[in-house]
Parts: sequence; C-alpha cells; structure tokens
Amino acid sequence: MSRYLGDDFILPGLTPNNTPFFTAGSIQIQFCDDCGHAQHPPDDLCYACQGRNLSFRTCPGTGRVESCARVHHPLHPALRERVPYVIAIVSVDGAPGVNVQGNVVHCDTSSVRIGQKVRAVYEEAVDPHSGTKLLIPQWEPAD
Amino acid sequence: MHGRAVVVGVGESAYYKHGGSPDTEFQLACTAIRNAAEDAGLELRQLDGLISYMDNRNSPLRLADALGFEELRWSSTPWAGGGNNSSATMHLADAAVSGGHANYVVAFRALAQGQFQRLGSGAGLMAGTAPEGLSWGLPYGLMSPAQECALQTNRWMHDHGVSQEALASVSLACYANAQRNPRAVRYGRPLTREDYHASRWIVEPFHLFDCCMENDGAAALIITTPERAKDLPGKAVPIVATAQGKGPEIGLTTFQQRWFPGMYYENVGRILWERAGVKPADIDVLQMYENFTGPVVMALCEMGFCEPADVEAFVGDGRLEGPDAALPFNTSGGNIAEAYIHGLEMVVEAVRQVRGESTCQAKNVELSLAVGGPGYAPGSAVLFGPAI
Repeated sequence: MSRYLGDDFILPGLTPNNTPFFTAGSIQIQFCDDCGHAQHPPDDLCYACQGRNLSFRTCPGTGRVESCARVHHPLHPALRERVPYVIAIVSVDGAPGVNVQGNVVHCDTSSVRIGQKVRAVYEEAVDPHSGTKLLIPQWEPAD
Repeated sequence: MHGRAVVVGVGESAYYKHGGSPDTEFQLACTAIRNAAEDAGLELRQLDGLISYMDNRNSPLRLADALGFEELRWSSTPWAGGGNNSSATMHLADAAVSGGHANYVVAFRALAQGQFQRLGSGAGLMAGTAPEGLSWGLPYGLMSPAQECALQTNRWMHDHGVSQEALASVSLACYANAQRNPRAVRYGRPLTREDYHASRWIVEPFHLFDCCMENDGAAALIITTPERAKDLPGKAVPIVATAQGKGPEIGLTTFQQRWFPGMYYENVGRILWERAGVKPADIDVLQMYENFTGPVVMALCEMGFCEPADVEAFVGDGRLEGPDAALPFNTSGGNIAEAYIHGLEMVVEAVRQVRGESTCQAKNVELSLAVGGPGYAPGSAVLFGPAI
C-alpha cells in the first residue's frame, strides 16, 4: 500500500537492529532466547538478564491502541497537506510489555480510540541507499 | 537538610520572541553571567566554574576566556535529554562547591533561535532517512516533544478522567502571573479561558497555549559556599536539596508499558523529599517547567502534590494564580508566558522568591522548589531554603 504520510516522507534508515521490523512484512519483536524477555526497540543485549542470545520473533500482527493523538501542526513541509493525522502507541500481541509507534490508517482520524483493537498492514517503499524493499508496519482498525 | 551551597547572584539578558535578539547567543550568555556576577558583588575574574545542559553551544573554554576568568576549576553538563536537566544544574553546582572543587560556579543557559534553529522544529530532520534511534517514530510523523507528551497526556487523562480544563488552568495561571512581570514576553497580553479554548490545536490535547513559547535570551546563577557568601553584599539562598535521576527500565523511547503513561518524576520526588526531610504540603512556592501543560499536571501527581482524581480541583479555580494562591506557581509566568530559557529562568525565579524579589511575591517563603522538565529522563528538582 502507499504511505499514509506520502511516499516521499522520511524513511527509516536501515540498521541491523531495525531491519527486521521494517522489512519483514510481519511484526518482528526482539526476544531473549535465554530468559524469554521481549524488548523494543531492539538492543545489543537483554535488559532483563544481560544475555546476548537475542532473536527476532514473528508476532501475530494484532494489537491494541494504548494511546493516540491527532496532529494538527505540520512539523515537516511534506506534512502540510497531510494534517490532521493520527499518531498512536500500539501494544503488540504476543510480546508482553512491548509498545510500538505508528499511525492508525484506513479510518477517519477522529474515530481512533484508546483501547481499539488494530491489525498490522504494511507500507511499501525502497531504501534509497541499499535498494532494499521496505514493508513499514502500520495499523488499521480490527473491530 | 543540606545547605552547604548557596546561590549568591542571578542574572538575565532581556527576553525576546524567538529570532528577536539583536545579540548572538554567545553575547546573550555573557550578558546574563555579567549581570549575575554584578548581582552577587563578584568580579568576573573570580568566577571559576561553568555548568550548562542540553546541546550547549557556548563552550566553557570560550566563555572563561572571554569573561576573563583567572582559572576554570569546574566545567560540567548533565547527561541526556533537555530541559529535564534545568534543575540538575544546581545539583552539579552544589557538588562542585560543597566538595571544594571550585569557589564560584556559574550555571547558565543561552539561546538565540534566529542564529540557530528552533528546538523541536524538525528542521534538522529533513533528510530522507531517519537514524536508528529516531527510526521508530519519524517515519510515522511522530517527531516532536509536543507529540510525545500528547500521547502520554491523552492516555493519562483517559485513565483518570481528567478534562481539558485542568490543562487550561495551568496555562491561565502562567499568563495571569506574567501580567505582573515586565520581563515577561507575554506581559500585557492577558489570556482568558475563552481565548485558550479558541486557540488552534498543535496536537490534541494541546492547544497553542498549552505549549511553552520559543524565545531568545539567557539566564545565569552563581553558586558558592555559605562561608564565602558572608563576604558578599546580598542575600544568600541555600540549596537545601536536589534530586536528579530516573526509575528502572523506562525504555530507550518513552512509551514501553511499564512506565506508560508517565513523566518519570516519581523517583525525583521521592529522592527530593527524603533528602530535604519535607513533604509536598510544606512547599511555599513552586516553579514547575511547562514544556506543555499536560506533563505539569501529571508530574504534580507523581511528585505527591495531589492525586490524579483531585488534580482538576488542585489546579482549578485560580488556585495556582497570583501571590496569594493556595500554591503560588510559576510566579514569573514560566516557560509559557515569561520566556522559554529552557527552564533556567524558572530556577532564577525560585531564588527571587526566597529573596523576596519576585513580581508575584508569595508570603513568608521558606521553601521554594524548582522542578525540571517532565516527560524526559533524568528528571531534576532543586529546593531552596530560607535566605541567610
């Protein structure tokens, strides 16, 4: 799908820690293979046990809106035609304690509510440096 | 209580709308420090320490040379974040002088946003790809402190049934108090509750008047020991307690579930009350950094001034407005209506309250508290005690 804030809007610069999240086409969250702790953003060791056996696991791709806010003031020139838009914090099913950031798409901006169930959808883009195909997670209403 | 360090001088430049300063940022810094030294009765050459915070562009080496310090014995800045460290400057200054490392330490903050870009403007974020730390939010247009704090505030208001009127009351108190303060950028520009509600949204639940201004200016304080202060002409204002820090595992971004929604001020309050041996009800006058109004009401609760269920009554009905308020609050007008010198001007105001020199002077001030910016860690706070 095309991008919520426009196909020319800022892209994530890919690194080893964020490549799974932004390219897999599924919700990839980092887990500790030693103690089972889920953490986000990913980092170089486990914050619960300091273990280094970390891997990304595929979560079901559903979640819940923990908070949301309608943005009216465009901070970037590319957003002048996009306001108001909705930013959201979404708790990720299958990853205890983990929230991610995103937009709630495919709905009226005034309809997004705390507690709303959502499911992941993916915006397509291409990393300008490596040519890698990006699949940027977004969220749409699921109820 | 501690009290082994005292503030002996405060100074400011004039305060301007952003981009309005005829001086460079470095000139503003030098003006504020000179004014603070003059207020203290010190020669510039006697100063021997420099403390600032955030992305400080005014090198301590350049300042010490330009101002003619005979030597520089202490230079430091707290790690991480921004205005959350405004009161941490007093934490470091206290350590510097009570530990005997330096004699007359300056804490300062200067900004000229015509010369440099505005804080939080997104102007530095125009490039095509976001670095890893920003990649989790920027591609979603989540790119400013106002938006981050709005997400925290919306959830907190939802959980506790707090209405927009609580946020309005904070803004109105700042504006009311600024009408007494000729230094305030919003002096002569009173705000009504109707004006507040009619103002444009920045990001819900923040109207324009829920947000701090953007300004040019500089503020400075000079800290020394009580013994050295005896030789100076003015009142000395003791630092009786400071706190800086964060609780466990808040997350690299501020939204993980353990602390969401939160302003990270529970531990700052706990440390402060323990070190000072006082409680929130003992505070005579409060300066609390308003990046936005929502974080203020949240941090008031986290520090123990009131419960979320009571916060609308705590801040409402003018209970924060004027010198006779139930809790005199942001008496200079604060970041919202005096000037946004990243909160250091509010530390200056906390000192003025102890000296009896505020334009909105609370009565019988013995304990004057200045709290750094909520919503970002590490938070900070400084409590000043009766003048000596």
